Amino acid sequence: MTTMRTVNTQAVQADSPRSVANKSDRQRLLRAIRMALSIQSPAVRRNTQTFNRNRYRATGLLPDYEALKDQARQIKERSIANLPQLIAQLGKTVRERGGHVLLAAGADEACRYVRNVCVRHGARLVVKGKSITTEEIRLNHVLEEAGMEVAESDLAEFILQVADEQPSHIIAPAIHYSRERITALFKRKFQTDLALDTGEELTKFAREILRNKFLHADVGITGANLVAADTGTLMLVESEGNIRMTSLLPPVHIAVAGVEKIIGTRQEMAPFLELLAASGTGQPLTSYTSFLSPPLDDPPFALPGKARKPREFHLVLIDNGRMRMRDDSVFRETLYCIRCSACLNSCANFQTVGGHAFGGETYSGGIGGAWEAGTGRLENARFSELCTGCSRCVNQCPVRIDIPWLNENLRNRLNSASETFLTSGILTTMTGAPEVDQSAPASKLFFGNYHQFAEWGTRFAPLANAIANWGPARSAMERWLGLDGRRSLPAFPGQTLVRAAENEPLTRTEQPTARAVLFADVFTNYGLAHRGVAVLRLLRKMGVDVVVSESVPEGRAALSQGLLATAALYAQRAASLLDHYLDEGRDVIVLEPSSLAMFRRDALHLLENQAQFGRLRSWTFEPLEYITRLIEKSGRKPQEFFDIDRSTVGTRLFYHSHCQQKTIGCAAPTETLLRDIGFDVVSSSVECCGMAGSFGYKQDFYELSMAVGEDLFQQVRTAEEDGGPRALLASGTSCSEQLHAGMNREVLHPVELLAAIVRSSGK
Amino acid sequence: MPGLIDAFEANARRAVATVERIASSPAAVRAAVARVVKDSRVIVLGPGEFLSSELMDPLRELPGLVPQPSDEMLSTADAGISSAFAGIASSGSVCVAMGPPLAAAVSLLMPLHVVLVCANRIVKRPRDLFDPACLGGEALKRNLVLITGPSATADMGPLVRGVHGPHRLQIFVLE
Repeated sequence: MTTMRTVNTQAVQADSPRSVANKSDRQRLLRAIRMALSIQSPAVRRNTQTFNRNRYRATGLLPDYEALKDQARQIKERSIANLPQLIAQLGKTVRERGGHVLLAAGADEACRYVRNVCVRHGARLVVKGKSITTEEIRLNHVLEEAGMEVAESDLAEFILQVADEQPSHIIAPAIHYSRERITALFKRKFQTDLALDTGEELTKFAREILRNKFLHADVGITGANLVAADTGTLMLVESEGNIRMTSLLPPVHIAVAGVEKIIGTRQEMAPFLELLAASGTGQPLTSYTSFLSPPLDDPPFALPGKARKPREFHLVLIDNGRMRMRDDSVFRETLYCIRCSACLNSCANFQTVGGHAFGGETYSGGIGGAWEAGTGRLENARFSELCTGCSRCVNQCPVRIDIPWLNENLRNRLNSASETFLTSGILTTMTGAPEVDQSAPASKLFFGNYHQFAEWGTRFAPLANAIANWGPARSAMERWLGLDGRRSLPAFPGQTLVRAAENEPLTRTEQPTARAVLFADVFTNYGLAHRGVAVLRLLRKMGVDVVVSESVPEGRAALSQGLLATAALYAQRAASLLDHYLDEGRDVIVLEPSSLAMFRRDALHLLENQAQFGRLRSWTFEPLEYITRLIEKSGRKPQEFFDIDRSTVGTRLFYHSHCQQKTIGCAAPTETLLRDIGFDVVSSSVECCGMAGSFGYKQDFYELSMAVGEDLFQQVRTAEEDGGPRALLASGTSCSEQLHAGMNREVLHPVELLAAIVRSSGK
Repeated sequence: MPGLIDAFEANARRAVATVERIASSPAAVRAAVARVVKDSRVIVLGPGEFLSSELMDPLRELPGLVPQPSDEMLSTADAGISSAFAGIASSGSVCVAMGPPLAAAVSLLMPLHVVLVCANRIVKRPRDLFDPACLGGEALKRNLVLITGPSATADMGPLVRGVHGPHRLQIFVLE
């Protein structure tokens, strides 16, 4: 038998995955990103994007996907609310059935218990099924210290055990390994002459080692996907068959599960079956879904020479911070997580670096920060900086966890925990940020209150633009504000949208088709006034009575920096401003998708009055979404409003919609309208461009941002292979900047194109 | 329902199981099973609690079948035969009860798993298993596994079929 123990003696090299597992400070986080980009990115990208595509396909095949998500969410909410009772009920059920139960307060207690069970049975070989919870409590280490051999039997965990690395993904822990790297690893560690240059050969090699372990193991340790309190049933989901082997063959089965895995009844497992498989690996069901109510009646496996023992079952329930999370009004939601990995696979940053950069010592991805902070220390969640708030995971979560909101709260708590620097003091005075947000780092205060700098910049535009691009000023901004020197800064226009609108001819319409207000979001008002003007001209030609609002920040920028008090203050101010227009019967048009997403989604958390939020959500529109409604209302065809022959950029388009725009469901109207007018449109299929508001401007994340953008740039090149260039269109301010940076070409907003081809009075 | 069986067949094939419909007669069952296990030297028959003894008994005569295998023989046997208490159309899964002796072993340890399922026991979706009305009023077994295709992994790079569990899954739908 090949021994597994030798592999842990390897010294940790500089910037190996192990050396960057702890990312509690900024320098380590940056090293982890560099390490991941240089070694792991190609495999992670290929594997996560495959999962991502498969998930979209599989969930699309579920006719009641949204209803299943609602049911799953309700079951989890109810279970976590009743958790103390369910723990007691489950304990009673398992004991009555002849099993043993421990509720462990922390990792030490859990590990000690498992070790003692193993020692009592004289165990020399312990075989394990994949269990991220045992990674959390560092169980292997404790058992190995006690002289036992621990054999990880999931092939990904097997690879990690051989390599001595931490998991980089919740359900595919070795997702960062390409086949080629596994071959090299096995050849090095096992000193074998076998070729091992196909997936089949590698699998056969590992299978032969592990088959022996299963047959000879004294104890089997698994996790559990769900545990039912009424019957003591474990739901175990897998594809390799190793969890079945581990739970069925050895005489002693120990299941280790976080307390949040408990639900009331076995019946309630039903909606999770398809949801978990579809959201995780993108299958109708994985190869094996077991429902076990141990101990089983049939005797365990015993090869000759081994005593045939009666079956014994232990359920080790782990608190380790979970009950504290349950008491936290924000982080309680984390406990609904069923660890499917949809939030990892749908995340553009995760797709690019994986969980060794976008992850902590155990948990990774969007939901990972909340788990790391909840089961460990807040500082362990520093990697959640890589959540840009793009929100692509939000609709993918089978239990509807608002993951960006969790990460914005983590950022908020990390901000409060950080030291206050001189620059922060100066900036808070300048910005007038609420007192509670004043301890945030300078970079966060700058990006979170960008509107104030933009306002001065526009007031003194020529001078400000000159300064902004003056070398020493850029160095200072990089040093003090973290603004990357390689990014070109959008020039401040000479005139804001609000001022420009005053010069627009106000066509009086006797009977307007609709009444609207264009919200002068900060990005448009101070950076891209001409786009706002295009909306005004467009809507006025379509007979809409439209005015421009005052320009106020809506809180998006502050929210993304974790400045929650500031964000709430701004959101409330903007909502009150818009209330006034809504009272007048005006629909609200919002050009910048991230601002629109604030009104349609995020303000839920920030506005105290839910009725106010409800009204805002119902009456705010993306411009092309609004135009589509106007056309539908008119009963006429899009071509009657727009003349494609007047397009100055041709008829071939490449359109990239904004991440948050996709999440709130208003990317499709743009694509449909452009096609209906007659354009030949190729749409990007990336989750996010990588710029994500201020993220890509930050010095710390510039390389990552450009690496994420590469997928988008490549899609443009591919779309142009079939007959030459396409005009580039993007709906987001920062998406346009990113596309411009990558392709070095002009990028238009669809409203600019439409304003050029709209027919007079829509005829 | 013929629609359910068609969907079951198509989805089981998608999960890379081999599916065949056969008549629910002792001779047909025996002939079909004998054909797929003809290259297997050691064969183990699991409990046939979901099929009549009329259908199961002829299988006991198959060449290579070991009536009461030791655990050592189980660990090296070539094929396992079992009956499923239900099939799932939307995923092409077969549902095998665990608990009775050999039930777990024959669906897990051998490279080839042959499973027999009655056509009238095919439900539409996984969640229907939890609804007694879909299984003729029967409560769900205490220990069970939903099997969807052979064991598989993507951990070694490309998708590989045949890991720790069976490498081949042969399903016979008894009509």
